[in-house]
Amino acid sequence: MDAILRVRRLSKVFGGLSALSQVSLEVETGKIVGIIGPNGAGKTTLFNCLTGLYYPTEGQVLFQERSVVPELSSRKARLVQRLSWLFVIVSLAWAPLFWSFFLPRTFFKVELTLLAIFILSIRLVVVRGLREFQIWAWSTIFVFILGDLYLAIWWLTHLASLGPVPGLGAPLAYLALPWSFLAVVSCTYLGWQLLLREVRQLYGFRLGPDAINRLGVARTFQNIRLFLTLSVLDNVKIGAHGKMVQKIWNALCRTRSQREEEAKIEVEALEHLRFVGLEQRAFDLSGALAYGEQRRLELARALASNPRLLLLDEPAAGMNPQESARLMQLIRKIRDQGITVLIIEHDMKVMMNLADHIYALDHGVLIAHGTPDEIRADPKVIEAYLGRGSADAKS
Amino acid sequence: MANMSPRWKFLAILLLAVVLPWLPLGSHTNYLLRVVTTAILYMILALGLNIVPGFTGLLDLGYVGFYGIGAYTAGLLTVHYNLSFWVILPLAALNGAIWGILLGAPTLRLTGDYFAIVTFGFSELVVLVIRNELWLTRGPMGLPGISPPVIFGHALKLDWEFYYLVILILMLVLLVVTRLEDSRLGRAWFAIREDEIAAQCCGVNLIRYKIIAFAMSASIGAMGGAFFARWFKFIHPDMFKFWESILVLCLIVFGGMGSIAGTMLGALILIPLSEILRAALPQAMFSARYLIYGLILVLMMRWRPAGLIPFDKEQESKAARVRERLATLGGKE
Repeated sequence: MDAILRVRRLSKVFGGLSALSQVSLEVETGKIVGIIGPNGAGKTTLFNCLTGLYYPTEGQVLFQERSVVPELSSRKARLVQRLSWLFVIVSLAWAPLFWSFFLPRTFFKVELTLLAIFILSIRLVVVRGLREFQIWAWSTIFVFILGDLYLAIWWLTHLASLGPVPGLGAPLAYLALPWSFLAVVSCTYLGWQLLLREVRQLYGFRLGPDAINRLGVARTFQNIRLFLTLSVLDNVKIGAHGKMVQKIWNALCRTRSQREEEAKIEVEALEHLRFVGLEQRAFDLSGALAYGEQRRLELARALASNPRLLLLDEPAAGMNPQESARLMQLIRKIRDQGITVLIIEHDMKVMMNLADHIYALDHGVLIAHGTPDEIRADPKVIEAYLGRGSADAKS
Repeated sequence: MANMSPRWKFLAILLLAVVLPWLPLGSHTNYLLRVVTTAILYMILALGLNIVPGFTGLLDLGYVGFYGIGAYTAGLLTVHYNLSFWVILPLAALNGAIWGILLGAPTLRLTGDYFAIVTFGFSELVVLVIRNELWLTRGPMGLPGISPPVIFGHALKLDWEFYYLVILILMLVLLVVTRLEDSRLGRAWFAIREDEIAAQCCGVNLIRYKIIAFAMSASIGAMGGAFFARWFKFIHPDMFKFWESILVLCLIVFGGMGSIAGTMLGALILIPLSEILRAALPQAMFSARYLIYGLILVLMMRWRPAGLIPFDKEQESKAARVRERLATLGGKE
């Protein structure tokens, strides 16, 4: 099976509430895949994890075999934690070693001790306060560089007031100046490399929602999120933001390539609006649109980024039967263009007609998956929707 | 006037602005010109500030910090190195942008009120540094003896000369702001203002675009400061107090947050109003003008909460222009 999206053992915990636990699913290229489940089943949380808005507690997401959300497991997490601790301890131990080697007499100077305590406390706060690893790793680097540079600068600017160093003599002490800079730079560089290479390999770096969008994942929202004071056309143009390449200088100089790109985007945006049937409203403010039209505009905006995978969060919510029938046609047309669609929907009729494959979630757990007919007959799904005993009553 | 196309409207206003010094207004011409020059300077400042709260939707209370940085950059470079105004203007803009990025990079992750407090702290910090670093800025003694700009070997000294200079800078700033607004960058800013989450999911890198907005705003503010220093010939830390930030913010709110024409109109109305009040109010009550500003703002909030030219009205007319352009294009094909 050629899967465009693979989700492996994805979990998301909010405080003590486990919104998703060990959800694994695969979305086949060119199909319409549905996710159903009662309210609070974790469907939107799943979408937010897939688009990078939430960071999952555990698990991995692969989009076109590329890791969008890096693999997380408690074993690796512990390893990274140990590595970071080691790094912090080394960086802490470095300063006293450095002093006692070069300036033995100054080791117990009050200011330096206070400074060391200050830096130590900052480091401890950083270590304790941050839970997410990526931020954690970066801030360890940051604090390390900042603290040690500050120490080095302090030391360099106060050489005269510290007096001659026993055993070294004045000239030698000044020879130590470039060496200290070298030490700072090399230690920092080593630490940086350690963290960058090791941690990135072990842990990976998370992609933000914008980067995921540029890879080719677009989404709509359950509660419509449009740019209400902008025109309908501009809304769709913003949707194309990720595939545009023009930089600020091109915009300032209005270069030919910038104008050509703008014109191209405009034509494409009108094309997308025609596709969803909004070309008559293209020059109105999007806040002036009716509810159903706003839903379709969100769809056009998502399509504007030329996605490979489209995530629709309850597209038929609040629509009357005619509108939702039209929407179903639209979604089929999108599928026929080669765009894979992953869809959350409450309306069972829509879902059973539309989806090629359905995953059912309940309380963050995947309870069933299969074709619409299999799902319809699955006792676990009926139980989740209607309560225990309903499946028996039906049969 | 109302049904003229924006291009003609713009040309008409420009023509009026160009002939203004030569209108027969009697002995008050120079005074009038100075007031209008101040108003245009504040237009430049308002256009710059507008990028952050107007376009990107972040409340910035520390704008005057960048204005002060620009003024002191220009002042010090003139006094010590006597550089040309045309070299100083980009240098001041660059210095403003650098400080904008330095302030913005760590703080733009903050949201709403917290960000506003940080920017407020920054502007206070700038004034404190200017006041206390005597070796650099002469502190509370101020920086006198800044020579005026020299153009083609001629040192500017008449009011109309400065008036034309400030109009030139305004044109430059206006060009930058309108071009940025109507581009990928401007749309990304609007998207961030309207809905950060939706903007992210449309591929907008929040931090990058917020930092660009902050840097642009800061560099325009610093350019305004550079002109101010070379025009006024004397700068003092008290000129860059927190009040100025609030004043510029008032201009934007009054004119219409996010609307370019609105911010300019706001400056053109409120700044001369201060002069009118100076004549109308008795000397002892001159400080009461802020009271009147406050009253105007309160009344505005009651009857026109989105300002003189609301942002969505401007977007509507912009969309109508696009529709016309496309219609004529379609007709030709």
